[in-house]
Amino acid sequence: MTARAPLVFGGGIVAALALLAAVVAFRPPVPGDAALAMVLDRILFWQSLLPRAAVALLAGAALGLAGALLQRILRNPIADPSTLGIAAGAQLTLTLATAFAPGLVALSREGVALAGGLAAVAIVLALSWRRGLDPVTVILSGMMLSLVASALSVTVVLAKGDYVMSLFIWGAGALDQQGWGPAVTLALHLAAGGIAAGLMLRPLALLGLGDAAARGLGLAVQTFRLLALLVAVWLAAAVTAEVGIIAFVGLAAPAFARFCGARRPDAVLALSPLAGALILSLTDSTIRLSSGGFGDIAPTGAATALLGGPVLLWLLRGVHGGRRQPADATVAGRRLASPGRAIALLASVAALLLLGGLVAGRDAGGWHVATGGLFLDLLPFRAPRLIVAAAAGAMLAAAGTLLQRMTGNPMASPEVMGISAGGGVGLAAVLSLAGFPDPPTMIAGMAIGALATLGIVLAIGARSGFGPERLLLSGVALGAFGMSVLTTVLAGGGMRGYMLLAWLSGSTNDAGPVEAWTGAIAAAVLIAPLPFLGRWLDLLPLGDAIGAGLGLSVRRARLVLAIVAALLTAIASLLVGPLSLVGLVAPHLARLTGFVRGRDQLAAAVVIGASLLILADWFSRVVIFPYQVPLGLFASLVGGPYLIWLLNRGGNRHG
Amino acid sequence: MTRPSRRRVLAGIAALAAMPARAATARVATLDWAMLETLLALGADVVAATELVLFRQIAVEPPVPATVADLGLRGAPNFEMLRLARPDLIFNSNFYARSNARLALIAPVDSYSLYVAGGAPYALAEAMTAGMAARLGLDAAPLIEGTGECLARLRKQVAGDRPVLPINFGDPRHFRVFGADSMFGEVLARLGLANAWTQPTSYSAMPPIGIETLAQFPDVRIAVIGPEPPDVADMLGRAPFWQALPQVRAGRVAMLGPINPFGALPSAVRFARLLAGRLGAA
Repeated sequence: MTARAPLVFGGGIVAALALLAAVVAFRPPVPGDAALAMVLDRILFWQSLLPRAAVALLAGAALGLAGALLQRILRNPIADPSTLGIAAGAQLTLTLATAFAPGLVALSREGVALAGGLAAVAIVLALSWRRGLDPVTVILSGMMLSLVASALSVTVVLAKGDYVMSLFIWGAGALDQQGWGPAVTLALHLAAGGIAAGLMLRPLALLGLGDAAARGLGLAVQTFRLLALLVAVWLAAAVTAEVGIIAFVGLAAPAFARFCGARRPDAVLALSPLAGALILSLTDSTIRLSSGGFGDIAPTGAATALLGGPVLLWLLRGVHGGRRQPADATVAGRRLASPGRAIALLASVAALLLLGGLVAGRDAGGWHVATGGLFLDLLPFRAPRLIVAAAAGAMLAAAGTLLQRMTGNPMASPEVMGISAGGGVGLAAVLSLAGFPDPPTMIAGMAIGALATLGIVLAIGARSGFGPERLLLSGVALGAFGMSVLTTVLAGGGMRGYMLLAWLSGSTNDAGPVEAWTGAIAAAVLIAPLPFLGRWLDLLPLGDAIGAGLGLSVRRARLVLAIVAALLTAIASLLVGPLSLVGLVAPHLARLTGFVRGRDQLAAAVVIGASLLILADWFSRVVIFPYQVPLGLFASLVGGPYLIWLLNRGGNRHG
Repeated sequence: MTRPSRRRVLAGIAALAAMPARAATARVATLDWAMLETLLALGADVVAATELVLFRQIAVEPPVPATVADLGLRGAPNFEMLRLARPDLIFNSNFYARSNARLALIAPVDSYSLYVAGGAPYALAEAMTAGMAARLGLDAAPLIEGTGECLARLRKQVAGDRPVLPINFGDPRHFRVFGADSMFGEVLARLGLANAWTQPTSYSAMPPIGIETLAQFPDVRIAVIGPEPPDVADMLGRAPFWQALPQVRAGRVAMLGPINPFGALPSAVRFARLLAGRLGAA
């Protein structure tokens, strides 16, 4: 620990206490009759204000500890409760229970959410078990589960209309309290989790040496990892259960601790809860003070990301390259003999799917294969959405391939880079400024938002020569920032929120000729030149030194690929929303099928991406006819299980 | 326009009751619930509308005939289903304007906006009702004047009562409140009741507001518009803060049951009737 830590943390504690004192001193007066006002003020102070301050500190500390544990055991600086799907899983079970089993929610809101968090992590662990809980596999499974769970939540919310307000506030992490129950629960969790973490200090230090070394020293690596993971999840699920999704604290607190000079695991573990408590408490006090009256200007959980995003971006400047994650991962070691023929086969499957989507469907009477008059009747509605889906799938797959190749990081995808979320912020801005804007204005707003996000990510990336960690981490930070802006607008409810929700859910339903042509032309123009960049795609994953040694201008190659990837993502998420999993899944499917060279993987990913979204679009149309489910959901439901199966087929490489 | 009278209102109600008999010629469809309730109250031949499952739970009235095809979600209407329902005319609102280009492939689209920034939804709803009726060759007078008459009659019962705070619970700790530019706010004014919420809103409702805010309004009557999320009932029975509120202790909380918060004239009548009923009971 350096001299910086005591200074920074001492200052933080003083600031947090000062703000809390200000919140107490400037709390809004209760109007009316003096005796009654005094009674109400006392109740507010003891049953609302104080428990809220306590919950902010406790939830922040629990998230900080959970984040530190997760990052340590997964050896991944951007692991946190949200990348593992815990928060999204908890939100999904709560959403489902609210919609279909309200009795359960009335019985125990906390219990329902906790079950979801635990189920999510159980699924993630089961999925990555055969890979020896390999860090990359764990995070990949967690992120996929998150996306699927979010898509399902949004679907249920859309289908249930008016309950949305509750779910959004809860989802955004509002800290308002009406009693001491949540504070006591969180305190018990934090105490137990803290003791468990204390007992793990020595094993955690050994894990830092690497699996082989740790095993040599007599540590049962898997058992221990599982245990530490369970403690972290238990903490994070408790917070999600009590106050909703608090973005970013689990990610930022350990980063902050390390920034302050903490290097050894015991120092990071000890300082992270403190950092988390301070971050959340300062944020919550700021929200209260700037809101004036009793209501809040924004849910605190969304605000942590609003404030935390820029802070983390700033922190990134001080993070030196660090250990390079080896581009481990997920290659099943298989290689196709004739990739050309395989791509042709994939393309004909895609064409068959497209044809099937045009003719097969449902009506009030049941299933039909549309021919003749019926076919022509329905063609104007089916053709544009299928073309849009195919084009968006192809573009997202291409973007994902580029991002994974250029960063050498298998987790890279348009979603992780924050570009889709940036487009959403642009849409929210247009909706706020113009009330009910026309479609071209909305599209323009989204394009500006996506490109601005790209600009920021690139500007930050440029400082590190587009180093993989920096680029990914700034993308994650910006994405969280963008999503928190969206959550705040959604929590504001009304029609603005509803329109955003419709876009978030990823619907091709409103696609017409304009959208179809936009998608087709953009896909053709942006994807066609990419095969000429095959050499870049082959060299970049090998690392900067090898690339430069072979005469590649690494910086320029990364810049060009980043811009193309961002454009592909921006246009695709304009068309089908930000929830799609295709950008992550399609490149993996291509590589796992055996397309190893950059050019082959790109071509295969594009065809697979298009096929996935064609299939997803058809499912979204027919599954609960006449109601329609968002496309994004089916993209993840179709692609997710297949990817998981392929990941597992690779066998236990560590064992 | 002639002065509304009790006889005209009765005639209008009789016309509503006889609705299925007067087969209007144009087959109409709509994506918007305010339009759906207006069309049903006018006696139009509605062939397709959105989210009927939820409409029957939240808007409740008028009843939706089983022959109306369900188009699914308002935000993602099933155009294929709508095409096969073969409407002659489609009504749409600013809320779902993004669907207009697709709708225009099926039938002509007539658009109205009830809820716009700074707008007065009651007058807009009257104008929309008149416009839709004129387009369909139906008589709008029974609905428009019947609504005015109904509010005037209820006003005699409740005018001058305490200010009302119309709210809608989102979860046990948050509610949204309906301001002067909401349909509920407009109805309160027509009933001679003050809306306790005088601050600005965004599009008629102001969410989300912490429940502590209720302490600022000790003298009002709280009108809770349903449906309530399931865990709210539990909270209402237990939470110390809620129990200590003067409005709660004095029994000045009216649970009105479900009402469409973005409705037209039929929702206005439903709100007025349920509120007056609760005031009479209190």
